[in-house]
Amino acid sequence: MSASQSAVRSRAEAVKVSRTFDWMILFTLFFVVLGGYHIHYMLTGGDWDFWTDWKDRRLWVTVAPIVSITFPAAVQACLWYRYRLPFGAVVCVLGLLLGEWVNRYLNFWGWTYFPVNFCFPSNLIPGAIVLDGIMLLGGSMTLTAVVGGLAWGLLFYPGNWPIIAPLHVPVEYNGMMMTLADLQGYNYVRTGTPEYIRMVEKGTLRTFGKDVAPVSAFFSGFVSIIIYFLWHFFGRWFAGTSFVSSENI
Amino acid sequence: MKLLKDKVAKLSFVALLAASSAAMLYTPTAAAHGEKSQAAFMRMRTIHWFDMNWSKEEVKVNDTMTLSGKFFVFQGWPETVDKPEVAFLNVGEPGAVFIRQGSWIGGQLVPRSVSLELGETYEFKVLLKARRPGDWHVHAMMNVQGGGPIIGPGKWTTITGSMRDFVNPVTTLTGETLDLETYNLENTYFWHALWYALGLAWLAYWIRKPMFIPRSIAIESGKANTLITATDRKVGMAFVAGTIAIVATAMTSTNEKYPITTPLQAGLLRGMKPFEMPAKTVTVKVEDATYRVPGRAMQMTLKITNNGDSAVRLGEFNTASVRFLDSAVLEDTTSYPDDLLAEDGLTVSDNSPLAPGQTRTVQVTASDAAWEVYRLADLIYDPDSRFAGLLFFFDEAGKRQMITVDAPLIPVFI
Ligand SMILES: [Cu+2]
Repeated sequence: MSASQSAVRSRAEAVKVSRTFDWMILFTLFFVVLGGYHIHYMLTGGDWDFWTDWKDRRLWVTVAPIVSITFPAAVQACLWYRYRLPFGAVVCVLGLLLGEWVNRYLNFWGWTYFPVNFCFPSNLIPGAIVLDGIMLLGGSMTLTAVVGGLAWGLLFYPGNWPIIAPLHVPVEYNGMMMTLADLQGYNYVRTGTPEYIRMVEKGTLRTFGKDVAPVSAFFSGFVSIIIYFLWHFFGRWFAGTSFVSSENI
Repeated sequence: MKLLKDKVAKLSFVALLAASSAAMLYTPTAAAHGEKSQAAFMRMRTIHWFDMNWSKEEVKVNDTMTLSGKFFVFQGWPETVDKPEVAFLNVGEPGAVFIRQGSWIGGQLVPRSVSLELGETYEFKVLLKARRPGDWHVHAMMNVQGGGPIIGPGKWTTITGSMRDFVNPVTTLTGETLDLETYNLENTYFWHALWYALGLAWLAYWIRKPMFIPRSIAIESGKANTLITATDRKVGMAFVAGTIAIVATAMTSTNEKYPITTPLQAGLLRGMKPFEMPAKTVTVKVEDATYRVPGRAMQMTLKITNNGDSAVRLGEFNTASVRFLDSAVLEDTTSYPDDLLAEDGLTVSDNSPLAPGQTRTVQVTASDAAWEVYRLADLIYDPDSRFAGLLFFFDEAGKRQMITVDAPLIPVFI
């Protein structure tokens, strides 16, 4: 399309069209990411994110950040290198959390009546803001991967602790001690989720005694760095224009 | 080629939309009506449930009922199913319509998974508190790791009242009494709302200015560095510092508010106490067993020997929770679910008392529509066409003994 045949006739009109385009892209991006990220997170993080009695100090802390840094890394790669827009991680996590809340509220609670205080999603926003902030301030993929990835892993547990701590208060129940979260899992019968598939407090970090959460968080941070690199390149590749046959784009 | 690419693009977009709606519509499995579709051999040769009792047929919200009985862990456990070394006593119900207030095997509370021994009988009890009104099919259920759910008999139970009145009071070890149904809900909403708002604020800061086309053009023309202003950097620093500060203070204040917390509790419970069944004085040998497809009847030839000191009669054959009774010997007084009870389904060619020391070979027929309704007849299509079940004999004093049978089954199609 040559300039003489432009669809817009004035600069003001061009600005208006460009802005309309902004909203359309953002809207589409938000919902496409919501769908893809949500499915991905359910398949990889699954039960760890669904139930409070899976949110332990070892595996949840380790698994959730590792599998959730994926989409933020990829979308950041696209938005930063093509547009210098540092909100890739935040837009992903906002999409994911909206999808999760809709699902947990309407289906887990509205359809199967699991109390919301038992099946709410994990909070990923602190890590996302820091990841985007570091991308903005450093402007470098390597720095974001190393510092941001580590921060992503480290911020996860403390970012969720104010929400789950009240559920880790112990109770004595028929002669056994358990946390309120364990009790939720016991009281609110899940036919398809028997107790033994619960993967909590398993692993070889016993030597760290009760301070196992920070160790898990560091480990999670290190793996998040690697996953960040990997998904960053997925994002780069996906944001390429080589799919389109026209040469001048 | 272009057309193809367009199509692929369109299709992947549709797939993503479908995926997003699928994810949002995901509901954890709650229904419990897999009982009939489960392979017949799973129900016949794994866990045999008997002496089942549902203490009430109608329960008000907040009232409790007990589901109790015994289960025999079949010694001829099929090779294709993992042994119940890690098993969990569950309840088959459509979601948490009843909450499980307690569950016991042999008197031991079993909120966790347990290890069961083949050939042993266990006594169990589940205390259920009514939560959601409706008519519900309530089953006993044993989940076996590597074997899946093994569903016991189910009975229709009615819950009346309103779920709004449901409460689940719990007293913690720190002395606080709370309602677990709604506990911590406001706190959860508060933190999620706060963080979501902060995320939106970050997004809003960036999207208020023109985004994609002008910024893309600027980068293409080598002016990428002009896109991030000094203010942008300051805002970025404020957000990062603010996030870390909020996380740190929230963490500290939470620890002050909840100084005592414990990790989630998990771990396998071993050494479940088996139930002592009365000593067996009767021996049974299965000479042959056939299933007559057109007649919906199973026929077995049994060689029964009485080594005891009291004459015995066969009263019941129980397989996959279906009870075939000889009403002349045994009548059900526990209001066992109708569809699983064949009150006169057991015919014995000679069921006169078998005197001590005697041996008799009899034809036993177990016939009922349940063979079809509960798809037990599908047994003949199983990879290992065997049947198994429990025989209950009664002596003159009414004392019961349980004998297990396990033998190949030959189908008869004509
Ligand atoms: Cu049922």
